[in-house]
Amino acid sequence: MIPLQAQLPDGGWTYVVSIVAVSLYVSLTAVGLSTLFSLPVALGIGFTDFRGKRLVTAVVNTGMGFPSVVVGLLVLILLSNSGPLGSLDLAFTPRAMILSQFVLATPVLLSVSLSAVEGVDQSVRDAAYAMGGTRVDVGLAVIKEARFGIITAILAGFGRAISEVGSILIVGGNIVYSDGQSYTRTLTTAITVEARQGRYEVGLVLGVILLALVLAVNGLGSWLRNQDRGERSV
Amino acid sequence: MTLSVTDVTAGFGSSTVLRNVSLAVEPGEVVTVVGPSGTGKTTLLRLLATFRRPDAGTVAWDDRDIWTMADDERLGVRRQVSMVFQEPSLFNAPVHRNVSYGLRVREPWQARLRRGLRELVGSSRPADTVVSALETVGLADVGDQNALSLSGGEAQRVAFARALAVDPAVMLLDEPTSNLDPHNTALLENAIERARDRGVGVVVATHDMHQAKRISDRMAFLHDGELVETGLPEQLFENPTDARTARFLDGELLVGDRSGSRAPQSPTADP
Repeated sequence: MIPLQAQLPDGGWTYVVSIVAVSLYVSLTAVGLSTLFSLPVALGIGFTDFRGKRLVTAVVNTGMGFPSVVVGLLVLILLSNSGPLGSLDLAFTPRAMILSQFVLATPVLLSVSLSAVEGVDQSVRDAAYAMGGTRVDVGLAVIKEARFGIITAILAGFGRAISEVGSILIVGGNIVYSDGQSYTRTLTTAITVEARQGRYEVGLVLGVILLALVLAVNGLGSWLRNQDRGERSV
Repeated sequence: MTLSVTDVTAGFGSSTVLRNVSLAVEPGEVVTVVGPSGTGKTTLLRLLATFRRPDAGTVAWDDRDIWTMADDERLGVRRQVSMVFQEPSLFNAPVHRNVSYGLRVREPWQARLRRGLRELVGSSRPADTVVSALETVGLADVGDQNALSLSGGEAQRVAFARALAVDPAVMLLDEPTSNLDPHNTALLENAIERARDRGVGVVVATHDMHQAKRISDRMAFLHDGELVETGLPEQLFENPTDARTARFLDGELLVGDRSGSRAPQSPTADP
């Protein structure tokens, strides 16, 4: 049997580390941006009654099941040389991957945080306002009350982003430098390459790292939910 | 510092909840707004707290229309008025965090960030005003507990302490004791009297006539969205000028009953 070290492509463990780094950089950035976008939007939708609110909510919920390859294709068309954002020269870069993961994570984040925000009793908003809170203070009070639901939303968004493969394969191109450093190769896209080339053990190592990351995220989510239950029963 | 409404009308959609109501609260007095459930007491208090604009009439602070003020100025007025709701409406946080909420939102952002960082490293302690407000309601020892773990009576007293901690000029209390046992009711009424003695103007909406008699300096009887009469408690209890007031005091009048008229014993009195 060929030792794992020998199976690793050029760069050895640096290859693996750089892949993990690119994966985390792309997914954390996408989820961070998505959080900044989704929370105010969730508060806006949750706080106001407007015509078509149910339709908007339905569209957001539908977006959770959006096929990632379709998102990748659309983002690539957008960023390709002949596309409307072609002049930005973003195709096949980590930024393009961030954009596609942002599009994929946002419906998850928005939908879960919207239901968390809508679950906060009106009395919390009333109390924050009546105690002299500004509109921002009222929003922050609601976010604090919905914090565990919102953290769950962020973790769910991260889970969706870190484990998806279709869109980043299309818009990132799965590129590795000749010295084995990853440019746009992530854990998921690397696994597809390793499987195709028969380097199953390397693929398995990457798979275990990916599973460990997802497990850690879920573990964090469960721990926070338990904290919430513990806090309420102090 | 007088908070008042003058000829206000307010409603929801096509239904009118309040009609041409005028009322003012002066510093250091307790005004109770009494009347059957569903008669517009909460809507009146929410108008005074500037939760919404009246459909007609004015809400004023020292005779200046609050709704013609610039946003910053109106916020300044709002921050001199605090409100306690029928339900305690506490945040999922320790009691002292609940009580200090109003103080924290009044701080500049830089101070809030610094305080947040201090709390992260666990080196902050509740402000003296928070401790003092909790002492006023007899709950100085529960500051570190989560507010959601308190009993209904304790929670309502914490809500009162939260409203008191910001040193308001006016407190608006919406049926504050309707879900409380006699012991907690007595504690809260005592706290209301102490606030009044400190010069706070207090408006209490209640349908508990015994309570109104105990704590009022002035009473206003609201029925079906109209202010039927205002006066000293003894005047309303012993010599009501409107038959609806008399019938409500006798326990006969319900919301939606418009059959009242001037009481026969004082036909010329002004309600």
